[in-house]
Amino acid sequence: MRPAQDNQGSFLGRISIRRNQFVDVNNEQEQEDLELFQKHIADRFTELLSPPSQQPPSDETNTVASVAATDQIMSVTWLRKLMDVFLCCEAEFKAILLMGRDPTQISKPPFDRLVPEMLDRSIKALDICTAVVNGIDSVRHYQRLAEIAVAALEQRPLGDGNVRRAKRALANLVVALSLEDKENVSGGGGGGGGGNKTTERSWSFGRRSGGSSAASKGGATIGQLKSSSWSVGRNWSAAKQIHAMATNLTPPRGNEAAGLPQPMFIMSTVLVFVMWVLTAAVPCQERSGLANHLPVPPKHLNWAQSLIGIHEKIGDEWKKKEKKGSAGLMEEMTRMEKLGHSLIEFADGFHYPAEKDAAESATAQVAEMAEICRRMEEELVPLQQQIREVFHRIVRSRAEILEVLEQAGKLSAPVV
Amino acid sequence: MGEFEVDGEEKLIVAAEYLIKELRSVISEDRDEEDEIDEVEQRLNVVSEKIMTRDVDESMIWDFGSDEGNLYLDAVNELRSLIDRIDGSSNGTEKLSLRKAHDVLQTAMARLEEEFKHLLVENRLPFELEHSSFRSIEADHGVEEGSVASFGAASTEDLILGSSNSRRNSVEIVVDLINPDVISDLKNIADTMIASGYDRECIQVCTMVRKDALDEFLYNYEVEKLSIEDVLKMDWATLNTNIKKWVRVMRKLVQIYLLSEKSLGNQIFGELNEIGLICFVDTVKAPMMLLLNFGEAVSLGPRQPEKLLRILEMYELASELLPEIDALFTDHPGSSVKSEYREVMRRLGDCARATFLEFKSKIASDVSSHPFPGGAIHPLTNYVMNYLMALTDYSYTLNSLLMEHDDVEDLTIPPSPDIINPVMVEEESTYENSSSPEKFLAMTRHFYTITSVLEANLQEKSKLYRDVSLRHIFLLNNIHYMSRKVLKSELRHIFGDKWNRKHTWKFQQQATEYERATWLPVLSFLKEDSSGSGSGSGSGSRNLRPRERFQGFNTAFEEVYKTQTGWLISDESLREDVRTKASMWVIQAYWTFYSRHKNSVGDRYIKYSTDDLEKLLLDLFAGSSKSLNNSYRR
Repeated sequence: MRPAQDNQGSFLGRISIRRNQFVDVNNEQEQEDLELFQKHIADRFTELLSPPSQQPPSDETNTVASVAATDQIMSVTWLRKLMDVFLCCEAEFKAILLMGRDPTQISKPPFDRLVPEMLDRSIKALDICTAVVNGIDSVRHYQRLAEIAVAALEQRPLGDGNVRRAKRALANLVVALSLEDKENVSGGGGGGGGGNKTTERSWSFGRRSGGSSAASKGGATIGQLKSSSWSVGRNWSAAKQIHAMATNLTPPRGNEAAGLPQPMFIMSTVLVFVMWVLTAAVPCQERSGLANHLPVPPKHLNWAQSLIGIHEKIGDEWKKKEKKGSAGLMEEMTRMEKLGHSLIEFADGFHYPAEKDAAESATAQVAEMAEICRRMEEELVPLQQQIREVFHRIVRSRAEILEVLEQAGKLSAPVV
Repeated sequence: MGEFEVDGEEKLIVAAEYLIKELRSVISEDRDEEDEIDEVEQRLNVVSEKIMTRDVDESMIWDFGSDEGNLYLDAVNELRSLIDRIDGSSNGTEKLSLRKAHDVLQTAMARLEEEFKHLLVENRLPFELEHSSFRSIEADHGVEEGSVASFGAASTEDLILGSSNSRRNSVEIVVDLINPDVISDLKNIADTMIASGYDRECIQVCTMVRKDALDEFLYNYEVEKLSIEDVLKMDWATLNTNIKKWVRVMRKLVQIYLLSEKSLGNQIFGELNEIGLICFVDTVKAPMMLLLNFGEAVSLGPRQPEKLLRILEMYELASELLPEIDALFTDHPGSSVKSEYREVMRRLGDCARATFLEFKSKIASDVSSHPFPGGAIHPLTNYVMNYLMALTDYSYTLNSLLMEHDDVEDLTIPPSPDIINPVMVEEESTYENSSSPEKFLAMTRHFYTITSVLEANLQEKSKLYRDVSLRHIFLLNNIHYMSRKVLKSELRHIFGDKWNRKHTWKFQQQATEYERATWLPVLSFLKEDSSGSGSGSGSGSRNLRPRERFQGFNTAFEEVYKTQTGWLISDESLREDVRTKASMWVIQAYWTFYSRHKNSVGDRYIKYSTDDLEKLLLDLFAGSSKSLNNSYRR
């Protein structure tokens, strides 16, 4: 059920043994733990920034290289790694925050401010997780459209009929992929930000009466196919939530910088960053302006270097995409979009028998599309599960922190 | 030789004839094949013609009835088998017809997709609430209750809510979500589409239409999309409303709608086909997750005792529906829903238990700084007892939740002094449907400690009264109230007889203490030998003359009257009891004294007759302060 637990368990074990050796938590020990924590954060993100099998991001859609680069930034595989990294960081952080600590410590200033802020951030992160899991459902839908196209274009001999079938699926795919969030909401009628029930309802009546008309043929299905599934709540906005999570996130200064506020700041930064990446990767309810919203940690912080690096890469990509409008920056999706466009081009110009060159390049593209579909089929559901795992982890940690606070309340009650 | 030649010649002729025959047959076979190809081509043309003419026509085929539709399907199926036949013969010249056939097939499939959607949409049956409301109406009216006041506030009588007694006998109801007349048409279309390799399109269309229908169902049940943050920010009244809605919609959704939806999928795609299952999961997953998310959000909220009943209700429903959920989402595509469901259910259970414990500690920490007016029943007592009463609706659930963690609990909560006794257990076993005498063991234990904590708190509160008599009246009132509540409700099965006997004794003890504290000093004026029991004000009356004694009594009585008319015993029979006993003491002592001295003491010292006193005593504990100074001084 929870694969990450093993590794958390052993880690906690290690920490607790060390803590026991130093009966009273002395400063030096804590300092050492903090440094280790920062180092681990730095290491993990460095590995994410430049994975061992490094491949320069390729813009050519039909090269074999781009097919092979499975753990390129923002690929499904990479996102899954990111989730693992988050879970590790989180486990380590929780050990530092709670293990062998006097409960009253985290209820005193400045923690009486920092801890509630952190808990508030975690609640917001939960909603983002939900939104992203819903977003992945949309991606699963794109995958199915792409699969139709692949199945049709793999037919031999390839005739007009199957090309038409593929084109229909591709047209739906490309429109769905390139829709801006807001358009999705109004066009799709699927209760996004402003997608209240009346829209959905009038839409459904519309379908019922218009179902038989010619208008419903062809590409009119995207809206419904997106459905209302990726809605978190009325007026809920990923952009607003990310923004709110980041507003009170400032690096600790002076005395605080040496103590517990430091890992709290680091962990919160990681949390906001990871949530930001997820919302960038898949369709997500209302995220306009997010490309610029994330405040990056100061550059001089060692642990933050790679994180900033990843942020810049994604940010640049996003700004480019934002002008066009895009459903998500997930590497497979962007490739799918490109392939979709060029296959539509191929389909538009198709006359039997297909021109040899065009046919060959189309065959390669179909193969690549099939490969993307296969990878999505293999990895999207596990990614969803990992995000749910992150969700549950955040819930558990929050409960543990609240429990400690409650203990602290009881301990300090007689004094008051 | 000649013979031989002839013979040879004949043989040659025979051979030649044979050859010719063979050749002929080969030729004719070739012709057969050509004929056959012609025939395939012909059929192909006919079938294609049929399909293509239909395609020009904008009207929907199945609008003309199943027969018309079946004709079309026959054409499509024939086309498919023709394609198979052409595909089988690897002759290069047939590529053209194969290609053409595929084109036509694609056209037919696009058409079938439209027809399929059209049928699904047009024949959607509205999910009438009446279809199935008999069960939930029963459940609904039971959970109506007024505002559950916040902790310690007055007037929580309305906390009492009998929730549905009909839980735990689940009924399987399948309603028609689609007009049953078209099911076979849908099935035929789906079969053809799937056989032609268009299963993905088929799944898409089906999911899309059914999702839409489910959206409408949720809309009719006013299900709102709420983020966890939304839920956590809600005030209690709104949250309460939303939880009630959740309970209603979850029950209806799982027990009727989902069951019906799944059976619809089975009807269209066949029981063994995975496609039906995929459609089902794709259709219902998002709404299920939405509803589960709400449960998650509720369990994340702060542990406020007023929420407990609602949370228990949610948890109880969740565990009630668990078998259905397990059956609906057994297989791979839906198993994630199942595990999320279990997770949320577990969280709600944890939350309920934690909230219950929070309730307990809130009782202990409820501190007043002022004595409660009139010594009446304290809102805390009222709240706690009504709360416990309301919890008995969830005895089974609460007990099992507490049981799970009791080992841990035992370390933190000292067992109540009057813990489980055999007498009570025996009585339990005679109680109607208790399968095991120790049915609510954990709950009983916790309830005992709760009342102990409450009593301890009331003791503390009683010390706020400066008047000792009022302390006793306060405790009398409150303990009596507790014991009444237990006796007159389901709580009696949980607390048992011994508890009740003990508490009856406790409040009677308070009554006796009160009598002593109030009336001994007053009556000491009437005791001439003054041998003793009176203390305090009585001690000064030792050497008094009878008229001084009357005077002293009058003043003391008037004082008592003035204060104690202001006190309140709201329970009528208890008030009656206390008055009667006071009356017995006072009247008897007064009458004895009065009859001995009425002739020797002047009338102006004897203010009251026994009748007067008896009447006056009836004014005590009515809750409004009265004074005697004017009325009886004439």
